[in-house]
Amino acid sequence: MPRAVRGVLIECDPSVKAIILKYDEERHDYIVEDLDDDRHLVIKESQLQNLKLRLGRELDEKVMQPEESESE
Amino acid sequence: MAAAPSRPFDYLESLPGTVFFKLYQQPSTALAIFRRMLPDLAKCFVMALLYLKDPIPAVDLEIWVKSESLKERDSALSILGRLHILSNTTTADNVRAYMVTNPFAASLRQALTGAEQTQSFGVLSRTSDEGSTSIGSLDEYARRQWEGVLGYMVGTSGLGIQRDANLSKGVKQLLQAGHLVEIRDRRVEITQDGFAFVLQDVGTQVWHILILYVESAEAIGMDSVEVLSFIFLLSSLELGKSYEKRHLTSNQLRTLTDLADFGIVYQSSPEAGQFYPTRLATTLTSDSSALSNPISGTLSGPGGGSNQPGSGFIIIETNYRLYAYTSSPLQISLIALFTTLKYRFPNLVTGKITRQSIRRAIEMGITADQIISYLATHAHPQMRKHNVSRSTSNQTGIPPSVLPPTVVDQIRLWQLERDRVKATAGFLFKDFVSLAEYEAPCRYAEEIGVLIWKSDRKRMFFVTRHEQVAAFLRNRK
Amino acid sequence: MNAVDATEHYETSAHDPAPSLLTVILDTNPHAWALLEQTSRSPLPFSTALANILVFLNAHLACNYANEVAVVASHSHKAAWLYPTASPSARPDPDGDVSMTADGSINGQKDAGRQVNKYRPFRIVEEQVTSNVRQLMDLTSRTDMDNNSSTMMAGALTLALSHINRRTIAWADAHGGGDTSSVSRSGGPDTSTTSLLTRRSTTTAANDGTAEGLQSRILIISVSSATGSAHQYIPLMNGIFACQRLRIPIDVCKLSGDAVFLQQASDATKGIYMSLSEPRGLLQYLMMAFLPDQRSRKHLVLPTRVDVDFRAACFCHRRVVDVGFVCSICLSIFCEPPENGDCLTCGTHLDMGDYGAKPALVARKKKKKKVRANGTGASATPTPTPTPGP
Repeated sequence: MPRAVRGVLIECDPSVKAIILKYDEERHDYIVEDLDDDRHLVIKESQLQNLKLRLGRELDEKVMQPEESESE
Repeated sequence: MAAAPSRPFDYLESLPGTVFFKLYQQPSTALAIFRRMLPDLAKCFVMALLYLKDPIPAVDLEIWVKSESLKERDSALSILGRLHILSNTTTADNVRAYMVTNPFAASLRQALTGAEQTQSFGVLSRTSDEGSTSIGSLDEYARRQWEGVLGYMVGTSGLGIQRDANLSKGVKQLLQAGHLVEIRDRRVEITQDGFAFVLQDVGTQVWHILILYVESAEAIGMDSVEVLSFIFLLSSLELGKSYEKRHLTSNQLRTLTDLADFGIVYQSSPEAGQFYPTRLATTLTSDSSALSNPISGTLSGPGGGSNQPGSGFIIIETNYRLYAYTSSPLQISLIALFTTLKYRFPNLVTGKITRQSIRRAIEMGITADQIISYLATHAHPQMRKHNVSRSTSNQTGIPPSVLPPTVVDQIRLWQLERDRVKATAGFLFKDFVSLAEYEAPCRYAEEIGVLIWKSDRKRMFFVTRHEQVAAFLRNRK
Repeated sequence: MNAVDATEHYETSAHDPAPSLLTVILDTNPHAWALLEQTSRSPLPFSTALANILVFLNAHLACNYANEVAVVASHSHKAAWLYPTASPSARPDPDGDVSMTADGSINGQKDAGRQVNKYRPFRIVEEQVTSNVRQLMDLTSRTDMDNNSSTMMAGALTLALSHINRRTIAWADAHGGGDTSSVSRSGGPDTSTTSLLTRRSTTTAANDGTAEGLQSRILIISVSSATGSAHQYIPLMNGIFACQRLRIPIDVCKLSGDAVFLQQASDATKGIYMSLSEPRGLLQYLMMAFLPDQRSRKHLVLPTRVDVDFRAACFCHRRVVDVGFVCSICLSIFCEPPENGDCLTCGTHLDMGDYGAKPALVARKKKKKKVRANGTGASATPTPTPTPGP
């Protein structure tokens, strides 16, 4: 019997997916369905903003940024 | 502007069928929806079916479209269905067939041929007070009011702009209700939505405001259908002509007064017997953002002086430097949202687009596309000329871009750097028993253009909207 | 590494569909309409046809805010504008052109009280077209009718083309499209024909496929019989070739009979040719087959015609010929060898060889298609289209 589940489809790189999977392991409160390839998963609609914020913070910390000055 | 039609469309689509029934009673509404909301192919379908007495068998309509264009056909049919314009019926010998639904068909026919009774397209004022209000002064009025609204929103973000205090309370309440601004400590602060709003082109902004207005209409005791039809009526009026007010209902009069505050209509005084639609109203149902150029041009142009179509003031070089020939505080503060400003002269500001400045903007909720479309809309004629001459001489396949491609790409890349995930809200269909059971709805979802992702192996697929797919599944049982 | 890269985000930069300009050429020859009403099994009076066409024009205007229409009458002795028309207070602009406005106030429509409530652009078109048709018919004298049972199709086509050209330039100027200086530059070496029309064609061709530029098309609603148009063969074909270069499809809706040159017109320009078996269903034909613009036509299965009559008319006597003689220099067509072998169009002396001498052996005197090389100049001047003189 087919079912329809509400959620948000997330499309990302494998590295980001790994981070999301790690978050989910803490309390299992993000993922609705892990879609098994390394780029897609479905998460709860309510968690989207939270996830984006958390990812943004984490990536800002971990990803090296080239130095850039605002002057000419 | 691709985003332009989507908002009114989304709003309309969310309305129940009975509302459509009431809306389509008015020929002006039927015409406006036909013109504004439908893709080309859907328009062809409607027109082809409009004067047919009997429903057309579905097969006949379907073979009319080339087999390469199945996707376009199905998305056209799907939109027509969602807007309750086309309905499925059966012909006398029980063949699946399509027909244009009735209040819509009758109203559209009436719009095309004319009707005696209705005042659906407004009644021209007979008292000829020609010359009292020219098109130029209507544009000026619309520009002043609309810039006032934007200035009220942006000017409060601490950039030190003097603003006109002639905004009515209703306008301010509406902006608040739409979460475009917030009142904190009795000071007005622009929200993320507000930032996104001010960078959109004027046509989209007007629709955004109008839909907020319609949504709030119920709260102040007006029928939203009546307000909506009145807005469509306004959109079918002619610029520079005055219209009688005595045929309007009291609610419509009330709406008229409110819209005058935004500069969408003009009346010399609330007691006046006539009103004039401004360009903001008459271009509501045009697809072409280029048409609103006279307004956006004057809105943006230095001091609103020039009324030339397509007049812009921004020059961007391939080294990300930006020169804006404007002295309008509104425009300067808009540019400052995503640029690091460097020098300011009486008629010119210069600055540079940097990674930081773009990220700052993106954190405020502005998207790269909004920045790019803002820059493209307001590009200086010199840039247009330069780029057009260049693009006709070399590659013909790529549509000519006004902005330097490297800058456009880089702005998008800076956004994507932040944006590592692409999120699409929707519905996951799963637990199909067999591959056969999975395949049919999956293919159907793809045809109507809602399929985002599928996996044949796991027998799952993801769609943006589930209603039609669910109906499809039920029908197959 | 980046699954989410920039490429797929580019789709959002969609552009607005360009508006389209529909020019209708309406055959108003009174003879032909009278004939249609009397002889046809399903008579279609002119007034009904006009009403249907007006609804069709409105439908075209309804499709896009910026869509435009123009209507030209191809009458028995002249071609005339039905819409838009020059306003009486015409102030010629610096070029000496009369501005043609779509202003409804022309005829002083002050009786607004009993007017039908209608979308204003629709009403303006209707009022102008009907009043201009009436005027045209009033001005048609008996002598005009007696002289001529044909219709000034070539003149009407030329009017339509010049209007399209003018609107295309105006539209491009107003929307920051190609300005004329860059156009002439991109014209490059191919400026052998210096008319503005052909120069514009380089831009239209370059922009084809993208959403740039005004999309124009011509619809000819024809009732007159074919024989009448042979004497206009040369100007008509010139008009058709201009359309071909400008990529303006010519659609033909034939209410009675078949017209040789109009078939060729729609064939050459990739337009639609339809000969209506039931003229009374005109509106439905128009709405279904002729309303979709170039963009929609890409998706639709269009009524096409397989057997196009490709015959030409000779330049000397305007006869429609199956087989004729062609000047090797200018490609003019003749039904019989010109006198002294001098081409009537370009004056070149053609070496006729022994043609015309009493044949010793050939028994049958059947006309033969002959292309004779004339010395050395023959292959040096390839001309893509016939460029006839008068």
